[in-house]
Amino acid sequence: MSVSRLAWIAASALVFCVIVAAWQQAADARVFSPVFFPGPDRIWSALHRGWTQGDLAARTATTLGHMLVGWLLASVVGVALGAVIGLSPLASAYLKPTLELLRPLPASATIPVAIALLGLGESMVLAVIAFGAVWPMLVGTMHGVQSVEPRLLEVAHALGMPRRRVIRDIALPSAIPDILAGLRLSLTVALILTAVTEMMAGGDGLGAAILDAGRLMRSANVFAGVAILGLIGMAGAMLLSILEARCLRWRLAS
Amino acid sequence: MSVRVRQAKRRFETPGVAIEAIAPAPLIRFRQVGLDIGGRTIIDGVSLDIRGGEVVCVVGPSGCGKTTLLRMIAGFVQPTAGTVTFNGQPTAAPRPDVAIVFQDYGKALLPWRTAAGNVALALEAIGLPKPQRPARIAELLALLGLGGHADKYPAAMSGGMQQRLQIARALAQEPTVLLMDEPFGALDAMTRQHLQDELLRIVTDRGITVFFVTHDLEEAIYLADRVIGLAPNPGRVAREFDIGLARPRDQLATIEHPDFLRLRRALFEFIKAAES
Ligand SMILES: Nc1ncnc2c1ncn2[C@@H]1O[C@H](COP(=O)(O)OP(=O)(O)OP(=O)(O)O)[C@@H](O)[C@H]1O
Ligand SMILES: [Mg+2]
Repeated sequence: MSVSRLAWIAASALVFCVIVAAWQQAADARVFSPVFFPGPDRIWSALHRGWTQGDLAARTATTLGHMLVGWLLASVVGVALGAVIGLSPLASAYLKPTLELLRPLPASATIPVAIALLGLGESMVLAVIAFGAVWPMLVGTMHGVQSVEPRLLEVAHALGMPRRRVIRDIALPSAIPDILAGLRLSLTVALILTAVTEMMAGGDGLGAAILDAGRLMRSANVFAGVAILGLIGMAGAMLLSILEARCLRWRLAS
Repeated sequence: MSVRVRQAKRRFETPGVAIEAIAPAPLIRFRQVGLDIGGRTIIDGVSLDIRGGEVVCVVGPSGCGKTTLLRMIAGFVQPTAGTVTFNGQPTAAPRPDVAIVFQDYGKALLPWRTAAGNVALALEAIGLPKPQRPARIAELLALLGLGGHADKYPAAMSGGMQQRLQIARALAQEPTVLLMDEPFGALDAMTRQHLQDELLRIVTDRGITVFFVTHDLEEAIYLADRVIGLAPNPGRVAREFDIGLARPRDQLATIEHPDFLRLRRALFEFIKAAES
């Protein structure tokens, strides 16, 4: 790791510490009512208590599970559908109008429909998350396989490569950057929808816990839940960055 | 096809026409080839025979149809008049024994595959069994002076190395014909000279037929057995120059040879007339 990168990390950590310290000062000075505005100390102890004595760890696991399974479903369906639509004019002609109709639907608006159809169980939660998170994957993959360098298709043609191999060896690899961008976007969407769905459907995830804590005016618990959601989002983005760096090694000039 | 083979055999067996059978039939033959696209005539009345093992360079003003002729041999473009045949068969579709080297090597290589992986693409396509691939790859990369770069991605290679890699991939197809569309146009003079010599060495060794499009008249003379001069609007063969220069060619001796200078003058004058 280079010196300048270390310096950047140190600087951003410093900014974070300054913000937390200022927040603590504001809370101690009771700028806002402590009922709504807990300081970092109270949030930390709520986190600690919830994790060691309460069910915060189990709830985090549930939420992570929802997000990951929903996101995985969205990814598989999104990449497959995106590739088919991107590569086959016929499939595009048949499927695109329907998808264009579904795409602008706010995913959160589908929750009541999903509850009516699937009840309040896991399948409903996962369906909503997957539905919302599928679009960035689908659009990314579609765009990726359609923007293959035409010269590479000529190379494949000249080599007499069968269509199946053109897809596997040329179209999909050249869509990797777009697919990765789609993965990143849909992970964010999946996290948002996980929280919203859990709030609306209840259950034992973080979303329901945050909502319940809010109703009971336990603001430290609300912030603790939100902090964990934030950490999940950050960890996901970091893991994807590592994956991206590995998958796109060939882009680097050395 | 079988009829034709039988006819050829019979001809060979008949003493009276033995000479005709011994003279090799051209490998690639354009017969009164024309191409109209959207009411515009792009190629008109091109007749051209290319013998096996011959190095043919094509020159002519921009837009006169050099690339189009090459793409006809490749089977990418079908003529709207006349026929283009390869070994007597119409060039209806691309075939593995005809390899193409594009000018834009940066776009023609798979950026997500290493040098070895790019060569492997052609080996996979011709169906070479997997266990035999590593040795073939190593041999081809070494042939093009890329021995130490098998694990490099194209992005980490210079333009000259990338073009060498593209040639290695083309040779992996074990082609009888190499189609090259201004392959060295984007390279610096030194790299270009190196690659010209390497190309000549390889194609002479293997008896590969070369159809080479270039803007560089000296390059055309240096490489070719025959230079075809095209005239534009519509694209047609205006002149053919037989290059009698001795092989192997040499970057100093060949270029200073009086015949080279004479051919260069003739070619320059031809191009100047064709462009005006
Ligand atoms: N698919 C096509 N549709 C319409 N016109 C075309 C098509 N392909 C080629 N042409 C036209 O045919 C002519 C010959 O094109 P071609 O690319 O073969 O020329 P060229 O001799 O290779 O030119 P350059 O030296 O610039 O590469 C050009 O005028 C071009 O505009
Ligand atoms: Mg051209």
